[in-house]
Amino acid sequence: MANQDDIGLMAHLMRRAGFGATRDELEARVAKGYDATVEELIEYASQPAVDPYVLLRHQPAALLPGGQPPMGNVNYMYYLVNTKRPLQEKMALFWHHVFATGNSKVDNYDQLLEQIELFRNNGMGNYRDLLVTIARNPTMIFWLDNNQNHGTAVNENWGRELLELFSLGAGNYTEVDVREASRAFTGWTFETKLPRLPYGRFPWKFEYRPEDHDDGEKTFLGHKGNFNGEDIINIVVQQPACAKFVCRHLYNFFVADEPQVPAWNIEAPRDPAAVDALCKVFVESKCEMKPVLRHLFKSDFFKNARYKHLKSPAEVVVGTLRLVGGYELPKPGYGELSMQPSYMGQDLLNPPSVEGWHTGQEWINSGSLMSRINFVAAQLGNPDLPGVQKIIERLKAQGTKTPDQLVNNCLDQLGPIEVSAGTKKELTDAAKEWGEISWDGAGAQNATRRAAEMMQLIAATREYQFG
Amino acid sequence: MPLTTVVRGRAYDWSHAIGRGAATGTGFNYVQTMCLGKENDLYTANRGNENNFGMRVNRIKLGGPGDEELVSEFFQHGQGDGKATWPFGVAVGNDGRVYCSDEWTNTISVFDPDGKFQYKFGSTGSGDGELNRPAGIAVEKNGNVIVVDSGNCRLQVFSPEGKLLAQCGKAGSGDGEFNQPWGITTDKDGNIYVADWKNHRVQKLSPQGRFLMKIGTYGELPRADDAFAVTYLGPYVSSVLPTQYPKAGLLNHPTDVAVDPDGDIYVTDWGNHRVSIFEADGTPLTNLYGDAQEFSKWAKQSVDANPDMMKAYRRVRNSEPLYRFCFPTAVDFNPATDEIIVADSQRNRLQVYKKVRDYQDFQANL
Repeated sequence: MANQDDIGLMAHLMRRAGFGATRDELEARVAKGYDATVEELIEYASQPAVDPYVLLRHQPAALLPGGQPPMGNVNYMYYLVNTKRPLQEKMALFWHHVFATGNSKVDNYDQLLEQIELFRNNGMGNYRDLLVTIARNPTMIFWLDNNQNHGTAVNENWGRELLELFSLGAGNYTEVDVREASRAFTGWTFETKLPRLPYGRFPWKFEYRPEDHDDGEKTFLGHKGNFNGEDIINIVVQQPACAKFVCRHLYNFFVADEPQVPAWNIEAPRDPAAVDALCKVFVESKCEMKPVLRHLFKSDFFKNARYKHLKSPAEVVVGTLRLVGGYELPKPGYGELSMQPSYMGQDLLNPPSVEGWHTGQEWINSGSLMSRINFVAAQLGNPDLPGVQKIIERLKAQGTKTPDQLVNNCLDQLGPIEVSAGTKKELTDAAKEWGEISWDGAGAQNATRRAAEMMQLIAATREYQFG
Repeated sequence: MPLTTVVRGRAYDWSHAIGRGAATGTGFNYVQTMCLGKENDLYTANRGNENNFGMRVNRIKLGGPGDEELVSEFFQHGQGDGKATWPFGVAVGNDGRVYCSDEWTNTISVFDPDGKFQYKFGSTGSGDGELNRPAGIAVEKNGNVIVVDSGNCRLQVFSPEGKLLAQCGKAGSGDGEFNQPWGITTDKDGNIYVADWKNHRVQKLSPQGRFLMKIGTYGELPRADDAFAVTYLGPYVSSVLPTQYPKAGLLNHPTDVAVDPDGDIYVTDWGNHRVSIFEADGTPLTNLYGDAQEFSKWAKQSVDANPDMMKAYRRVRNSEPLYRFCFPTAVDFNPATDEIIVADSQRNRLQVYKKVRDYQDFQANL
């Protein structure tokens, strides 16, 4: 029997580095050890990749879904629910937050899915290389108008966001730097793609047009030269502000909620020492992400940050679906299921702007909170789902009988979740109204119903919204 | 890409394309399987999707290039008799009855040739006569119906009215075992060919279901250094012709199989985006990669109605991705016309090749 503290810590790791885990998985991972689990999460290639062919056999429209939801979301949700490489998928989601690119303008979910695949393949590699790759990504080029950035007529959109939202943060460059960076990326564009009618979507292909590139001398962040785009990125990643920007993003996503990105040049990190420690590893490893992640997950500041992060809608939905099970194979209705994060304020593949989603407490408003609670409650209240059955079997095996036991054991099985004394009292009061439950004979049906109702009540607590 | 492929006494000539993307009417929406009926009728089972709900079976009257006409549509999305959730298999009996499988409701619906619902059979489960995700269907000469019971990894034979007559196969990778099989066909002698999807092979069985032969081994085509991905799962277009790829006979999730009167075997090599052709004994012959350099009749109507599309086409540097198969799901051979018909699923069209029997080589010094 695993130690309860170890289970709690492992559950914390799996919520943050993945999308939660069932109790069986937590116990297996505790037996394996915390550090070994971190290693397995980081060296993800040891685990099998998601099988895309099963998805396409059942939902062929998920490959080239065009500009309308939900088939693109079906594709993304299938990977999120089925991945055995949770940190790889979580990092892809992380970069989707940072390099936020949206279907509202791109109008090609297939191109956004290709960008997510880019994050899967490169998201845990070298950040400098990732920046170069995303700068050449046609979807990003279209999103930020670099196809309209010409040697004779500069468009600053990509150059500005590269510095403001993708690498340095506001306050760490000048307007001249924006102009000079943009000049360096002139000629970075894409070929005309095959149009969508009559046979569906075709992809863009990156193209560098030397005749459209501004070959003149540029002055950028104190450096002078005939810079091209890659030179700009090489200078950017050497800036101390770059390490701070990336590591603060990591801290916000994986450790504890920070203020929104536009406030970062006026509000200090909530834990400057933690961000500095991550920066040190980032610089020493020359922008390699795996050493930074390894340091993060093994640090005390991470281990002590339980429930200091408000779950994103994607974490709520995916974590719930992985817990309750039964969604491994695509099924009719997967489209509606895959849109659930959108109803809670996180329209995957379609962030509200290049700034990405505002996180932390901004996920919550009266509408989104109701959507979160209703979705989770509907899943946990369905005893036909294999994961719910498993929890109920465990409650039964634990001899759950009294109201206190029902509350404590349900909290344990769903997390373990730590709740305030006030919340605990409210849950216990509800359980007391039901009285003791019995798993014998005719009582079993009532016990199952009460267990499901208790889990639904827990899903409605303030504490359940934190991960 | 060559429009004519010549190999060991055979020539395959690309003829024309049929269809376009359409949730209803003159086009297709992710064809899963298809079947030739009488008098050049072709039935296709369209999976549709949760955006446009284009699930249906459509009946097309085939002809020469540009002669195709839509005859009828049935088995559309919905609940109740004659409706479908996830259409998959379609097959036509000698008496004109059309059998359609629904992969979600685990039933076989039967229609008359005009698409009028007659009756249905099948229920969910793994017991005798029960179905789990039924896929392809074939009708034997005697009128009995072979259903690929994909989730149960077996074939089940029913009378036309749905009475279970026989079954064969079980889950596994040994001879006569299956892993999520997809399409099925029979040859002139009644032998049965099954696309054993997750085992990456085609199996040939006797009319009684005894294992006779298997074709293909798993393999993904190697990618050239300059390969350009048309989708993130291929096909990959490069300056190196795909015919130069080594190891003919590799299969990656084959979905369907057809046999011509000479015994040559055609396999839709879905994950490798091609049709692989084998001699009757399984010896690899060649591959077709898709050559749709001309729009189909209905496709041209879409382009003509949208001038910006043609404007864009005129600025495209390399149109090869347009020609190529993208996850072909089904193949049929029409003995009346010597045509190989391929369902090019992700492009929502059919590509038609002719097997040219009297091909004369041209003067090589032209």
